[in-house]
Amino acid sequence: MKKLAIGLYALVTGSLMIWGFYQAMYVAPSDAMQGEISRIIYYHVPSFAAAFTFFSVSFLGSIGFLSFRRSRPEWAQVADAWALAGAEVGVVFCTVGLTTGPLWGRRAWGIWWTWDARLTTTLVLWLIYVSYLLLRRFAAGPQMQTLSAVLGIFGALDVPIVYMANRWWRTQHPAPVFGGAEGSGMDKSMLGPFLWNLLAWFCWGFFIVILRFNVERKHQQSLAEEAEEALAANI
Amino acid sequence: MNPAAILDHKFVIAAYTVTWVLQLGYLTWIGLRWRAEKRNADRRGQRSR
Repeated sequence: MKKLAIGLYALVTGSLMIWGFYQAMYVAPSDAMQGEISRIIYYHVPSFAAAFTFFSVSFLGSIGFLSFRRSRPEWAQVADAWALAGAEVGVVFCTVGLTTGPLWGRRAWGIWWTWDARLTTTLVLWLIYVSYLLLRRFAAGPQMQTLSAVLGIFGALDVPIVYMANRWWRTQHPAPVFGGAEGSGMDKSMLGPFLWNLLAWFCWGFFIVILRFNVERKHQQSLAEEAEEALAANI
Repeated sequence: MNPAAILDHKFVIAAYTVTWVLQLGYLTWIGLRWRAEKRNADRRGQRSR
């Protein structure tokens, strides 16, 4: 039953991805100002929306770990697995955004990168979470989870700064399309393809974050069993 | 299509390709981790029996 549900969800997600691609490439019109290059927005913006969501999952997981690590160690391990899964999937989506953005910028602005407020704060966010993953990979000992939870919380504080960066500081990055100033927004002919892609990438994101969470739980279980075996051998 | 539009199209294809390579690469990596964890658990199960 569980396998069937996973298979069905994967099928729906895969269909949505194909449908989203078709919408972005063949249904959405070219932007009057930017031309063809505007089609990157259908992958770029949903990737960042997903990255922010999964960094928030990591934030909540980190808080959960710090809250329960003494009172309910089993809950803390679950929270820690969510924190790791959220951070890792968030980094993947953020990497996609940080790669597709310069590809758009090269054609729209004539440059790959500029130290604009939105771009710089996003790069800082990415670096914080990459260091989180490096800490998880290379640090050892009982404090590793606590340290990474603190870093996970610290990193998530950059998410609202990234979101607000092009509202607080007007530099190179385009003004917000959604929730921006008066007259901002997207034409209906582009909104449909955008929303399909947003839905598709979120479905994909939830699929991989759940897979990653399960792998981490398996890893935690095998570590706990190894520790028990080592203790039994010493006794 | 004029040359600028063709170049724009190539950049769009590059962006979409990078996205898919990163996402599918990550999915493959999760799959490999899953397999490694499963093998580990199986080996431990055999040892304890």
